[in-house]
Amino acid sequence: MFKKIIEKSFEKSPWLFHINAGSCNACDIEFVATLTPRYDAERFGFKLTGTPRHADIIVVSGPVTEQSKDRVIRTIAQVPNPKVIVALGSCPASGNIFAGSYSVLHTLDYYVPVDVYVPGCSPKPEAIIDGLYKAVEILKNKRRDNK
Amino acid sequence: MNFPFVKEAVNSLFKKPSTERYPFVKKEAPLGYRGRILFKSDKCIGCGMCIRVCAPGAITKSTKKTDDGEEITMNFFMGRCTFCQMCADFCPRGAIELTNEFSMITEDKSNLNVSGTFIKKLPPKQQAGSQTISKQV
Repeated sequence: MFKKIIEKSFEKSPWLFHINAGSCNACDIEFVATLTPRYDAERFGFKLTGTPRHADIIVVSGPVTEQSKDRVIRTIAQVPNPKVIVALGSCPASGNIFAGSYSVLHTLDYYVPVDVYVPGCSPKPEAIIDGLYKAVEILKNKRRDNK
Repeated sequence: MNFPFVKEAVNSLFKKPSTERYPFVKKEAPLGYRGRILFKSDKCIGCGMCIRVCAPGAITKSTKKTDDGEEITMNFFMGRCTFCQMCADFCPRGAIELTNEFSMITEDKSNLNVSGTFIKKLPPKQQAGSQTISKQV
């Protein structure tokens, strides 16, 4: 019975970890805005953590630059399974205007499996809430599959 | 003693929360919002001006020869778009429009493609016997 309660509470409070992989800061500002009282993603139990070891959902913004590539992979490797990776904005999906630069070689899905794409440049906070909502559903399914 | 924010604090106690109840109450994007691209393939003439002005290079054009002309497919990849509206501003026929659809959440990147196909007719071939144009000159 306790296990059931723990399972349910896990689903109701996914913790977020935000990685900036060379982003221009626009997506980061919008992401922080979703956690502020106006849009209040914390209604759904989302909480921003400072450490990847506590996180369930990883939000990556920015094209994955050569400098940040190793750090992104290393940080995501520290997140316990099951985890959901959200690509925030157009940049991780394709490189956006940075594509073709000497420091941007591949998109995010070349390095890690991406579960949810939130396109937009930058996405509206409402769109980010939608994306996180979908991420929670994927997280639920992943937990059930792991059992 | 002076408590500077007492009035504000007491007022806020009886106010409604300023949080937007977004997923439960649907929200319209403001007027002029640049969201997902709507491509009207019947208006497009395939001039390629949008490809020229697109900074991230999100627009691709592919042509295929058919019997009655060229079949042109314009593809707009929303995963690479900056939503700057340059393509819509420069389009001579107004075939591109940025709608106010802001939520484009997908699990698969290929869902982000917006494409349209149309057939560009070739100019009618002149028959060997009739040389009307050269006579007029």
